[in-house]
Amino acid sequence: MTTVEANVLPRAGGSDERAAASGRAGGVRFVPGQPDMWAFVLFEALVFTSYFTVYVIRRTQSPDLFLQSQAHLDLRVGVFNTLILLVSSWSVARCVQAVREGSFRAALIDAYLTMLFGFVFMVSKVREWATEVGHGFSFTTDEFFSFYYFLTAIHFLHLLIGFVVLGVAIHHIGSSAERSPELVETCATYWHTIDFLWVLIFALLYVMR
Amino acid sequence: MIRKIAWHRRYDEKRELWIGWWTLVVFYNLYGLLFFVIARTQPPPPPSLEPSEIVQWFADRRSGLLYGYAIISIVGGATAIMNATLAYTMRRMSVSRAFAYSYLVIYALATLPGMLIMGVVCTVGAMRPDRDPALMSWLYDFAFLSFEGTMGVFLIGSLIWMGAVLLDRNRVFPKWFGYLNLCNALTEVVVAPAWIYKRGVFAWDGVIAWWINMAVFVTYTTVFLTLLRKMIMREDSGTGPLPELDPDRAPEPGGTLEAAR
Repeated sequence: MTTVEANVLPRAGGSDERAAASGRAGGVRFVPGQPDMWAFVLFEALVFTSYFTVYVIRRTQSPDLFLQSQAHLDLRVGVFNTLILLVSSWSVARCVQAVREGSFRAALIDAYLTMLFGFVFMVSKVREWATEVGHGFSFTTDEFFSFYYFLTAIHFLHLLIGFVVLGVAIHHIGSSAERSPELVETCATYWHTIDFLWVLIFALLYVMR
Repeated sequence: MIRKIAWHRRYDEKRELWIGWWTLVVFYNLYGLLFFVIARTQPPPPPSLEPSEIVQWFADRRSGLLYGYAIISIVGGATAIMNATLAYTMRRMSVSRAFAYSYLVIYALATLPGMLIMGVVCTVGAMRPDRDPALMSWLYDFAFLSFEGTMGVFLIGSLIWMGAVLLDRNRVFPKWFGYLNLCNALTEVVVAPAWIYKRGVFAWDGVIAWWINMAVFVTYTTVFLTLLRKMIMREDSGTGPLPELDPDRAPEPGGTLEAAR
């Protein structure tokens, strides 16, 4: 046996190794989907928490400016966007449930519905930006609007990636190969993260006084 | 120590990879020392400085800029070894070689604006501090905007690595590292407003554009250096899936070949 061979074990190929890789221990899974995606969720939550902390600190330093500028946002649009994303989270949860039950046709419909809701959110957000810019509130108008465009834009970017993630889920559900729920659960976890982050952004930008 | 090095030189089949890994470790430490301590160009100064303040800024760190960037100009070529080592990880994966080639090209380009141009421009400013303050302001903006300009390169580089890790079937890196690449890429996007703002959290010295971004980058760098070390330990010079490391049978560097066997 060579030195290299002595250092290593054969490739993880058995069911135990696969279970460990997917976060299972003794047949019990720690989390839905790949635990790797949960590491992403945790890290993104930390990064966004730091953005939110900076926003709150800057807000407390100029409360009047933030309140005045915040009044120019349309709360109804914010509520509509929040509801749309919550509904999309509901449909992606239905999709996961359908895959677990082996109802792949229903799962596909739910995945496309999720994509549709995401698209509605996207159009609504672009319209909202266009309206604000039309009223003369741009990225550089004041600090509140800098944060408004920054936080909504970085969230928008996550949403765009979300369409790719949903595309992966749809491709997986529609393929003729073995369709495990794990990949769809992983994609759904990402989509729920978009929703979760938006709820926080909505509360901070539209609701907090 | 010498015994360990001699052992690796003679018996270690992965010595070239270890040279690449140590180059990465030494370079990143040297980079931090030169940019943060000697040249003192990081953390970056405010973009809102007046021309007279900029002249003073160059005067205050004249020796540091000259000596610091002289060393950078000598060791800058080490990035070739570093990039090659990182690209090797993609060559070891089951994915197309296009990932490794794209990564090599994009990071070879990043070395210019991210390090060498900034170094040359800062040195030009420090060399003749009695220049017209308007010219010094021009050099100051050029140096720091050049540095900021690499963020888009890091963005694409991280996405290339992410794609390779997520598509790979050889288990070279864990999938969570692929997602961490995405996190790093997204924080690079956040630097874009630095081109617009002269002050505040989005300026090139701002909490969001620099401090949070740097915290993520340091975490990301520490993680990939750790995973790269583990990957080299697991490397079997084959083409199939990378084997897992057996902690009970890994040889102590510097031990005898017989002991390793």
